[in-house]
Amino acid sequence: MLEAKSTNSLESAFEANEKKTLAFYLKWVFFGRPARIILLIIFLLAIILPIFYIAMTSLKEPIEIRTSGALLPRGEITTVNWVKAFANVPLLRYLLNSTVVALVSTILVLIVAVPTTYSIIRFNTGGWFFPAWILGTYVMPPIVVSIPIFAMVKMVQLQNTLAGLILVHTMANLPIAVWLIDSYIRAIPKELEQAAWIDGYSKFETLARVVVPLIRPGVLATGVITLILSWNEFLFALILTYGVKSNTFPIGISRYIGEHGLQFGEMSAAALAGIVPIYILVFLSSRNLVEGLTRGGVKG
Amino acid sequence: MACVELRNVWKIYGGEVEAVIDASWECQDGEFFSILGPSGCGKSSTLRMIAGLEEISRGEILFNDQVVNKLPPSSRNIAMVFENWALYPNLTVYENIAFPLRVRKMPKDEIDRKVKEAAEFLNLTPILNSGVRHLSGGEMQSVSIGRAIVREPAVLIMDEPISHLDAGLRARMRDELKKQVERLHVTTLYITHDQVESMAMADRIAIMNLGEIQQVGTPLDIYYHPRNDFVGGFIGEPPMNFIFCELLQEGDQLFIVTPAFRMQLDDEGKPQFQRYSGSSKLKLGIRPEDVRVRLQPLPNSITLVTDFVEPQGDRTIISLRLNDSDILLAQVLGSLRPDVGQPVYVTFDQRHMHFFDIETGLNIKNLE
Repeated sequence: MLEAKSTNSLESAFEANEKKTLAFYLKWVFFGRPARIILLIIFLLAIILPIFYIAMTSLKEPIEIRTSGALLPRGEITTVNWVKAFANVPLLRYLLNSTVVALVSTILVLIVAVPTTYSIIRFNTGGWFFPAWILGTYVMPPIVVSIPIFAMVKMVQLQNTLAGLILVHTMANLPIAVWLIDSYIRAIPKELEQAAWIDGYSKFETLARVVVPLIRPGVLATGVITLILSWNEFLFALILTYGVKSNTFPIGISRYIGEHGLQFGEMSAAALAGIVPIYILVFLSSRNLVEGLTRGGVKG
Repeated sequence: MACVELRNVWKIYGGEVEAVIDASWECQDGEFFSILGPSGCGKSSTLRMIAGLEEISRGEILFNDQVVNKLPPSSRNIAMVFENWALYPNLTVYENIAFPLRVRKMPKDEIDRKVKEAAEFLNLTPILNSGVRHLSGGEMQSVSIGRAIVREPAVLIMDEPISHLDAGLRARMRDELKKQVERLHVTTLYITHDQVESMAMADRIAIMNLGEIQQVGTPLDIYYHPRNDFVGGFIGEPPMNFIFCELLQEGDQLFIVTPAFRMQLDDEGKPQFQRYSGSSKLKLGIRPEDVRVRLQPLPNSITLVTDFVEPQGDRTIISLRLNDSDILLAQVLGSLRPDVGQPVYVTFDQRHMHFFDIETGLNIKNLE
């Protein structure tokens, strides 16, 4: 709503502006409707072209992939890459592993992040240090902690299990979840919670029954983001899992690098198979995602 | 039903900011008690301590002679109407009003009866099933009152409940609110920065400034007998005039002398000085309606020049020039409209002249 309004007012400002000064034209060139459309097209191409190229590659004969760099297949369209991709590598198992890890770790992240953030904001838990520390762990490169993490996971005998990876992903995605949920909770008027206390809710009930329903779009948007992060995660998956049993999709896809060289066609088919679930998820939740990411919360 | 008592209550933030300083007052059972003061005077902190939303730094708060310092808000049997109404935006009007009853696990049919009763009382029946997001300000306010009264609290706390409404609606809601609260016979604490609201609605008012209680009394008591210059200046519109003056005794005559005029105190103005023995330098406070303006000279009148005239129809507000920087406001009948620059003759209603100590600001009537 807000977005639309500001766009309209910009538009009408251009129409209403009678003095066609240089500043006006400059503004129009950079921020006017044609400029926005061109920008949008550039962005869309940047995102769609690689995916389209992968899709086309997955439909080319293996020999053609090696000999021609053309975007569209020249010879016949074939499904051989798709069949081989699933036959040569346990792709479905990898996808299933990834789904379990991403879903469970996201649920855990949300269960921990919502009360943590609420407590930090409303009860000043941990003073200034705790929130700063959380943000600090977020900006730290994960490779720095890869060895200690490996040691810890091994200590609790969870190496090469989905559970181990779930725990590590939960930990890794907590900071960003806290950081995202922060703004949603801040947008809720404090009085709403105080009204609930006076009306008879405990602090925990207030969080669960008043705050959470109000920040639901934001929590869902955060969930989608951590789900994608977990789905894409490579480093921890690489060092913590080493078998079909627990390898996730990003690790599994490297299996197409075989003795006979890179299987580009199969790899493209597999990559596409891994992208599709995420696209469906984002498509289904796009309304919530946009609402959650733009609106930030509720006005009282 | 309950009476509320504050005994030497302090609120200190972070060990140094004193938001409420040694507040002591008592509000009777069923009384409409207003806490009035400019923003930042500590009235909201006071109320939040009474509601249990904030800890009491020092002192005691009692409901019906029971100390409630350690009780959580839900156990104090209070209800609160917030400045921004704090309605649950994802619930309907019905669900908002039913909320405190549902939390308390009341039987369904009893909830239904009580909600409908409250809705009837507040004329909310036609919109019971609509969401609260798109209600008008007045309707939201009614819903929040409905939520507050539905479980028959011992104390109803209202924190600037109508200051978000526009002026016309505010005047109407003032009457409406007063009537509703009267019918409920519930002890009401009403917090506001608007003296008009307090004067119109409250049985008694506590005026606060800079964390300290300035005066507690009935509206008229506060109006006619301000304890200090702050109370005098805060209550009344247009505000009280303050003029620095010196008291001069000649025989048994008393005069007040300012750089702009010298005026003899008559039998109505003199009595308050009978037992006065303090400094002769004082601050004179006189309300604009107690300044009398004539176009012909009167005995003991002073001559001032008209600086500005504000006709309001039924009355005229005249600014009179005392000197280069100070003016004296007078509120007179609408038929009197002197020209700008015209000299006029001014007397004061000496019964309503207030004299304040320059250092402490206290009304000399309070000094022994």
